[in-house]
Amino acid sequence: MGGSIAGIAEIDFALIGHQESWRAAADVLAALRGPGHTPLPEEEIRDILPWIPPRAVCHVELASTRGAKVHGVYIDSFIPPDRLGDASVRDNLARVRDAAACAIQAGAKIVSLGGFSSILLEGNVDQLPQRHGTVFTTGNTLTVSFIVQGIRKLCLQEGRDLRQSTLLIVGATGDVGSGCARCLARGVKRALLCARNLERLRKLAGELAAEGVEVEIATDPRQFTADADVVICAASLASSSLLLGTIAPDAIICDAGYPKNLSPSPAMPNAKVFYGGLGQVTGTLNFIPDLHGILNRHPFPDVVHGCLLEGMALALEGRFEPFSRGRGLITPERVEEMERIAARHGIYLAPLYNANGPLEALLDCHAEVFV
Amino acid sequence: MEPVIDLKCSLPANYTSLSPTALIWQDVLAQAITGELMAAMNYTSLSEICDDPEEVADALEHAAGEKGHAAAFANEGRKIGVDASSNVHAKHWKRLREAFLRCIAERDFIACLIVQEIMLESFAVASYARVGKAAPGTLGKTFAAIAAEEEEHIGHAMEILKKERAKDEQTFDDKLYRLHLEVMTTLAEMLARDCRTGHCEVCHGSCVKPALPDVSLSAAELRGASLHQYLKTLDKLGLPGEVTLTWVAQLPV
Repeated sequence: MGGSIAGIAEIDFALIGHQESWRAAADVLAALRGPGHTPLPEEEIRDILPWIPPRAVCHVELASTRGAKVHGVYIDSFIPPDRLGDASVRDNLARVRDAAACAIQAGAKIVSLGGFSSILLEGNVDQLPQRHGTVFTTGNTLTVSFIVQGIRKLCLQEGRDLRQSTLLIVGATGDVGSGCARCLARGVKRALLCARNLERLRKLAGELAAEGVEVEIATDPRQFTADADVVICAASLASSSLLLGTIAPDAIICDAGYPKNLSPSPAMPNAKVFYGGLGQVTGTLNFIPDLHGILNRHPFPDVVHGCLLEGMALALEGRFEPFSRGRGLITPERVEEMERIAARHGIYLAPLYNANGPLEALLDCHAEVFV
Repeated sequence: MEPVIDLKCSLPANYTSLSPTALIWQDVLAQAITGELMAAMNYTSLSEICDDPEEVADALEHAAGEKGHAAAFANEGRKIGVDASSNVHAKHWKRLREAFLRCIAERDFIACLIVQEIMLESFAVASYARVGKAAPGTLGKTFAAIAAEEEEHIGHAMEILKKERAKDEQTFDDKLYRLHLEVMTTLAEMLARDCRTGHCEVCHGSCVKPALPDVSLSAAELRGASLHQYLKTLDKLGLPGEVTLTWVAQLPV
């Protein structure tokens, strides 16, 4: 499964991911081809990539600000970027399983499942290959932490009082969405929870209501009676029109879906959008071969998805345990614990940005929303 | 080694009564027959450098098997009314044969197995399996059955190659990479979406690749499946996945 790993005696962590776009996939393959070969045309990449079995792409060296060092490997499941939808779930699960087997074969002590891959641990944990000595984490707890931190940071910067806000969470019953709800709902005026599964929505709403939260639920964001001014999109939206008219014109919006697809538009000129769930390594992060800016395509250095950083932080801490597993188990206490572990090793919330670039530079500009 | 069928390229006499896809299958069969005949030649050459009588017998048995496959493919051609001519001297196949003969000249049994079993057979197994699914009737069944037989060959060779790699991984991997550059580069050119270096000298008329979608195949699919099979085979041998990914990423398209 995916070959062995070259020349490394011990692998502390493995990161399983996939490329979000054909552009990203093209850049990875171009880097692997090297400067002596012309980059492959995108049509060739679309032909070839789906046939590549899951395998290691590069080694990852990580050093904490406290001096701890760990060694890992990035394994790409090579899920084609245009096959992330429901129609390809079965094939994608098989790819994630093969990637997991590759991580096990490499002897990784902890494996973080990035992006689509995490659904295997959220609801299909029995489908993962087993090996004594390798544990898996979805990384969702650190993702929730960075989303929540990002919301609080932007509210502070914008002079918004979160306690007076109406919070909308799209994808509220997923692992990340429900974790965000548990962390934030008690601190807002009203929580609007949106998801496809009404039964799960009712259950989550009941849990929050029992804690005194004013909650409204709907399977379509257009059904809510109030406009949200803080929005977390924990699931990728099918259409921008689902948000238009549902949220306040100057809403703060966290795009925490995967892939991220909210970007500026003239439709909502005063809304503030940021990409949530991202953290930044302030110690040392090296890819071998050097795929900096290719595997992590962000406008700031050493920014990585929280889901992947969770496994890296746990490896630095020497805690090789399945910290995030299953669905709906993320609590504020666990989020705070994970946040402390990450911070101890110099892993913090990444600077906020959106499709237009760094958000700090855009704070005085008008960010807009659409899918 | 004599080709089992005529090398002459001509339209069959019953051209007007052929099924609309018969001429496509004719070229697909011609490539397969050529590959099988070349494999038979390679195994015969291999038998000449084997010291162990059992290995000699194995190589000759494989050679006979490959000739049988070629004959089976030729027979399938006749069933659909086409004469699928082979051409082991066609430019790509000739280069592949020359690469193999260099291994023979060096009396390098392991290199011979790598070229034939890891590289050429990966290509054959993967593409035959795809054709087996797309081709109708006995034509499809024959491709599928031969794909399964070829896979058995690989299994046998893999045991030998794994033992050899265990002795000295670095030397083995270096040799495999050298052969990869030579053989897989040629195979990649053969499998490219278009024949950019001119006619392959096996297809009977113009290049068959653009017509493959008419029989639910495509050059891209055959290339993809072949590279997939090759990577999986290298994985089974224990080569590092990130290394073989780079090898494949650097192949011509």
